[in-house]
Amino acid sequence: MCTMYCPRPVVDTYNERLDITRAPHIDYAQAIPSSYYIDAKACLRVNYETCNLCAQTCTAGAIDFSQQPKELELKVGAVVLTPGFGRVDDEVLERFGYGRFPDVLTAFEFERLTCASGPTEGHIVRPSDNQVPKKIAFLQCIGSRDETCGNGYCSSVCCMYAVKEASVAKEHEPDLDISIFFMDVRTMGKGFDEARKRAQEKYGINVIRARVPRVDQVDGKLALTWTTGDGEHHSDLFDMVVLSVGLESPEDAETIARVTDIELNHYNFCRTSVDSPLLSSRGGVLVAGAFQGPKDIPESVTQASGAAAIASELLADARNSQTVTVTYPDEDKALEEEEPRIGVFVCHCGVNIAGVVDVKAVRDYAGTLPGVVLYEDTLYSCSQDALKSIAEKIKENRLNRVVISACSPRTHEPLFQETLRSIGLNPALVEMANIRDQCAWVHAQEPDKATEKAKDLVRMAVAKARLLTPLDQPTVDVTPSALVIGGGAAGMSAALSIADQGYKVVLVERSKELGGNLKRLKWTLDGQDASKVLKDMIKKVKAHKNIQVFTGSQVESVSGYVGNFTSALSRQGKTEMINHGVIVLATGGREYKPKGYAYGDSTRIVTQLELEEKLARGRGFLRNARNVVMIQCVGSRGDDMQHCSRLCCIQAVKNALKLKELKPELNIYIFYRDMRTYGFYEDLYREARKQGVKFIRYTLDRKPEVIKQSRGIKVRAFDELIGEDLEIPASLVVLSAGIAPGENEELSKIIKAPLTSEGFFLEAHAKLRPVEVAVDGVYLCGLAHGPKSLEESVAQAKAAAAKATIPLAKGKVAVAPIVSKVDQDKCIGCGICESLCPFNAIVLEKVGKRKKAKTITASCKGCGVCASHCPTIAISMGGFTDEAIMAQIHAFSPEGCEEA
Amino acid sequence: MSKIKGFCCNYTLSVDIEALIKEGLVPEDLEIERLPCTGRLEVPQLLDAFSDGAEAVFVVGCQLDKCHNLSGSYRASKRVKYAKRILEELDIDPDRVEMFFAGRGETEPVVEAARIMASRSKG
Repeated sequence: MCTMYCPRPVVDTYNERLDITRAPHIDYAQAIPSSYYIDAKACLRVNYETCNLCAQTCTAGAIDFSQQPKELELKVGAVVLTPGFGRVDDEVLERFGYGRFPDVLTAFEFERLTCASGPTEGHIVRPSDNQVPKKIAFLQCIGSRDETCGNGYCSSVCCMYAVKEASVAKEHEPDLDISIFFMDVRTMGKGFDEARKRAQEKYGINVIRARVPRVDQVDGKLALTWTTGDGEHHSDLFDMVVLSVGLESPEDAETIARVTDIELNHYNFCRTSVDSPLLSSRGGVLVAGAFQGPKDIPESVTQASGAAAIASELLADARNSQTVTVTYPDEDKALEEEEPRIGVFVCHCGVNIAGVVDVKAVRDYAGTLPGVVLYEDTLYSCSQDALKSIAEKIKENRLNRVVISACSPRTHEPLFQETLRSIGLNPALVEMANIRDQCAWVHAQEPDKATEKAKDLVRMAVAKARLLTPLDQPTVDVTPSALVIGGGAAGMSAALSIADQGYKVVLVERSKELGGNLKRLKWTLDGQDASKVLKDMIKKVKAHKNIQVFTGSQVESVSGYVGNFTSALSRQGKTEMINHGVIVLATGGREYKPKGYAYGDSTRIVTQLELEEKLARGRGFLRNARNVVMIQCVGSRGDDMQHCSRLCCIQAVKNALKLKELKPELNIYIFYRDMRTYGFYEDLYREARKQGVKFIRYTLDRKPEVIKQSRGIKVRAFDELIGEDLEIPASLVVLSAGIAPGENEELSKIIKAPLTSEGFFLEAHAKLRPVEVAVDGVYLCGLAHGPKSLEESVAQAKAAAAKATIPLAKGKVAVAPIVSKVDQDKCIGCGICESLCPFNAIVLEKVGKRKKAKTITASCKGCGVCASHCPTIAISMGGFTDEAIMAQIHAFSPEGCEEA
Repeated sequence: MSKIKGFCCNYTLSVDIEALIKEGLVPEDLEIERLPCTGRLEVPQLLDAFSDGAEAVFVVGCQLDKCHNLSGSYRASKRVKYAKRILEELDIDPDRVEMFFAGRGETEPVVEAARIMASRSKG
């Protein structure tokens, strides 16, 4: 309403200035908090003391112009900095025609264009003439990997987002011709390379490896000229150019640094180190997300959880000292068992519903339905006042079933369930009919039919409500300790964090000693001594009173569920049982063992890790060396394994620089496919080029050959730049072998934690739950999740620790009431349900002489697979019983309603 | 021999002429010769273009105050003027040869020049 009446138009910055809104507005429908706010810069009332229209029109009376800014002083134990990233200067964009030519967009603007709720409702049109473009070019590395604008780093995310935006665009306009101009295709995230390949094959997106220097406009078309690796010049005209702008440090980075007294790095991001990526230079000030360095969503989410873990370590002593416990009155069991007395509340949602649906007619209609004793309409059911009045009315009228006819249960059901709980009713006794999304929104053009449909939905909801039954809200006690499987850098970091937060940890390592792959590293990526980092870590783990280390041990079996696991550990033939509340998987990975490239034929053909081991023993082997050849992507990216191993490029560059330092006259050749030195590691790559390391691109169909001769080794490869074969006599060949998954299959079966097609553990949600596994109480970090650097492993380990301590800290796990329930009289013990359950949540147990199925409610997710397959219909789902659903379906026809 | 001949300096026109012809933005019978600098252009070259069959000839150089080689496009413009005088003496329309200027890397003025000359060649 306020937006509708405001006379002051302002540019919609959320929609990248492509649209216009009013001074009071909400950025987007899912914004949190989901309330409107007033742009104080534009508001007439705030600036000129005129207007005040919105305050008068707001039916909820939520606009109060008498509010003043207040200064608050808070005492805190830790500060987490998450200011995000800033924007690339317009000056940089102007070099590529942005601002001069209307059809040159930034990728952020393009993102809004492709968005269904964006300014064009998802139609891709040229800003100049509102026509659909035919040919679009994406230019990568705008404001990244570009020293001329001061951003020498790689922004890490743009390659993938360009591929995504191009795919979305093709999905919407299949006839589009899209080209993406890359320097290197840096899609190194988990599953990203596969997604990029699919986009290329499915959508026919052209990948061109060239940097376009400028954009020119001819007759409304955008002209690009570029040079490919073979030296050929090309020109073409496009209808639209999208600039894939990079991630800058936040504009106010220096202010943040001054206020919080932390150090910034040379690109104005927060300075951190490889072994503690979330710590700023000042104790207690933590950092997460893009301010630590450009990164994508999964990594930001991971770091955020990791920062929470560190804050929790710092505050371990203060835990539970300031908590507020909510108490609820006892349930009125007698009332719940009475005949259904249904109350129907029909919501206007301001004009959201009432603008289309005749709310009063729906309300009166509800009154005619059997069992309904109260029917009312409310302006905003979800507002505090309305909830209070609903609660009072439920009490007054002794209602025992409630139907809320409003919006989506996904967003609002918990709110109404809470209201029921607060007055002693079981929360399962509320049912919602979504007349906003399903009537007012989708049928906005046909108000009469929308009203009819709303009546149908209300009738169906009432039919179901009659058969609702109270559900138990069981809670289970938690064993306050964790089992960490894997004693590498990730496992140790996770164990330390959980232990520092005050819980017992059992750390299991299969081999004889702790350390994992870090043992084989000589230097970390920022040049620190890896063995020192490792030693420090092992010392801390061994000294920690909360950590018990089991080396040379393996996990034999795991039973139980979140909060109450029991595992069998085998150690030298003996088995030991331990109880624990949560599991952290940090089983690591291993270096891929190269096939081909004459690996194993000579001691002078080694992997990167073997090179580091050699260097750790001394530099003698370099005495007579002249040429060193490194080959990237050995085993990775479709060579044998499908995935990109993410860190081999950085590792190769790091080792090349170290070799140059030890022996500057060495000739080093690196054969690569795409140099993926993402983030600040781009600095290393540039440094290596400056120092004369020769980088030569190869393609999968023309791989370099390593030929062992009677005397020495020769590498033959095609060089695209000169268009000829090269032959390099090599004193040393270093293969950048990728990262292969560990032997996860067995453990995956024991825990029922699914694996990806490559054999890494699969997270519950790639973006939002990157360290959790689909099984409750099981968390994931390190190479077990996918290839990553030490820095990323440590951050992820902290994140897994943060998530793992949640059930430990709560002490109890609440079980969602929507779980399956077995009627053991009907059960014939066939075991179909047990074999189908994806969460290990249903087991067969002996009852008398026969086997019967039983649900472990704490593990059940309520998916309903068991109920749908039970041959004797012995399994029902709480809140969704067969009878209630059938009643709801029958109620779809008015006659059915009467029958029921 | 094409009907229209253009000489461009290295610092104008960033797009291949084939791409422009393909898109139908310039007349098909246009031929562009790129020079390191239009200052290098001599009057006989301009006249040779006519004797080779061109109906119209144009030169695109840097803007006068921003010439990459300081005075290259100024020299070219003087030579174009001289060529115009010769055409007049030969009783040929002096507008058949013309000097144009373009900003660094700009393509649009070249396309514009080609179109103007195409219309003059018909006239």
